Amino acid sequence: MTPAIRAEGLMQRFGALVALGPLDLELAPGERLAVLGSNGAGKTTLLRLLATAARPAAGRLDLLGLDSGRQRDRLRARLGYAGHQVGLYPALTALENLEFFARLHGLGRVDAASALELVGLASLAGRSVGQLSRGQQQRLSLGRAVLHRPELLVLDEPDASLDGEGRNLLGRLFGGRTVVMATHDSTLARQVCTRALLLRAGRAAGDPWSLRVVDA
Amino acid sequence: MQFLRVVFAVAQKDLRSELRARELLPALAQFVVLALVIANFAFDLDLVSGPRLSPGILWLVLVFAGLVAFGRAFAAEKESGSLEAMLLTPAGPAAIFAGKALASAALLVACEAVLLPAMAVFLGSPISATVVVTVLVATAGMASLGSLFAALAAQTRARDLLLPVLALPIWVPFVVVGGKAVQVAMSGQSLAALPLSSQPLIVMADFDILFLVVASLAARFVLDD
Repeated sequence: MTPAIRAEGLMQRFGALVALGPLDLELAPGERLAVLGSNGAGKTTLLRLLATAARPAAGRLDLLGLDSGRQRDRLRARLGYAGHQVGLYPALTALENLEFFARLHGLGRVDAASALELVGLASLAGRSVGQLSRGQQQRLSLGRAVLHRPELLVLDEPDASLDGEGRNLLGRLFGGRTVVMATHDSTLARQVCTRALLLRAGRAAGDPWSLRVVDA
Repeated sequence: MQFLRVVFAVAQKDLRSELRARELLPALAQFVVLALVIANFAFDLDLVSGPRLSPGILWLVLVFAGLVAFGRAFAAEKESGSLEAMLLTPAGPAAIFAGKALASAALLVACEAVLLPAMAVFLGSPISATVVVTVLVATAGMASLGSLFAALAAQTRARDLLLPVLALPIWVPFVVVGGKAVQVAMSGQSLAALPLSSQPLIVMADFDILFLVVASLAARFVLDD
C-alpha cells in the first residue's frame, strides 16, 4: 500500500539556521500522527512542508503517492490545512467565507453549508466572522480545511482556542482520514491520534524510528 | 472555465469585503479631494492655469492613489494568513492574482469616478470621453503590474517602501503617453489628428497587453514561493 506520507532526509533551513531535520517519516493511510515538542522545536515548519505551504531545503517528500514539489497542484485538491492564523475574512459572514473557498475548490454552496454544519456553526451562518469569538473562528477554519473532503489533514495546534466541545469535534472531523496534528496537549494527542512524533530542535527525539505509538 | 470562475470569485470577495468594511474607498476618495485642494493652493490655480496644469495633476493623483489601492490588496491578506489559505487550494496563483488585480482596478476606477468630476469642479478641467477612456486604458496596465509588485512587496517587511520604488518607474509610460493624450483632449483637439504611430491609446493598449502577459506569467513565482 502506498504510504500517505513518506519523507526521506527532509530538511528545512532559514539562512544558516537548520529549523528541521534531516527527518525520515512514513505514515500509512488512515493513521493519525500527533507532532509534539516545545516552542521552536520545528512543529510548524514540518506541518508547513506537509501542507505544501513551503518547499523543503533538502530531502524528498511524497504525499498521497505524489511528489510534493512537482505535483503540488494535484495534491492541494486532496489535502486540507489549518494553520496558526485562521486566515478568514472578517467582513464576510461565516457562510460566505466557506462559500468563497468552496468556489476555489470548484465546489458549490451545498458543500459550504455542510462543512459549516459539521463544525457546529450552522446557526451562525449569517454572522460576520469579525463578530465570532476566537474559538468559533478556529472552528470555521477547521471547516474550511475539511470542506473539500481531503484525504490528508494537516492541523497546526487546532485545539489552541477550542473549548471541550470543540475538542470533541476534532475526532469527528478526522473520520478515516490521515491526519498530522501539532499540539502541546499530550492528553488530546492520546485521545485522537494513533502515533506521535516528538521533535526537539528540529529533530526526532526518542526511538530511532522517529515515530512511536503513543500508548506503547 | 474554472480559471475565470476563480478570478470572479476572488474579485467579488475583495469588493464585497471592501463594500462592507469601507476601509479603502472612503480614504481614497478623501485623498483625491484633498490632493486637488492642495494642488489648487500650491500652484495658485486660476481659470487659465487650472486647465493647463490639469493633466499633470491628474496623473500625479492617480499614481499615488494607485499605490495605496494596490498596496493594500496583498498586504492585508498576507498579514491575516488568508492569502496562504487561498494559495493552498487548487485554484492556481495566476487566477488568484488576476482576481485581486481586477478588484484593485475596480477600486481605482471608483477613485477615478471621484477624481475626474472633482477636477472639473476644482480646476475647471474639461473632462471629455477621450480623457475617461485614456484613464481607463491606463488603469488596466497600472493594475496588472501594480498588483504584481504589491504581491512581491507584501512578502517583505519594507513593503510600504518597496512598492513605490518598484511600481513608479514602470508606470512612467502611462504617465508620459497618457499625459500627452489628456493634454491633447483637454486642449479641445482630437487624438485622431496625431499620426497612427504615436496614437496614445494604441501605445497604452500595447503596454497593457505587455504588462498583462508579464504579470500573469510572473504571478506564480511571486505568490507561490
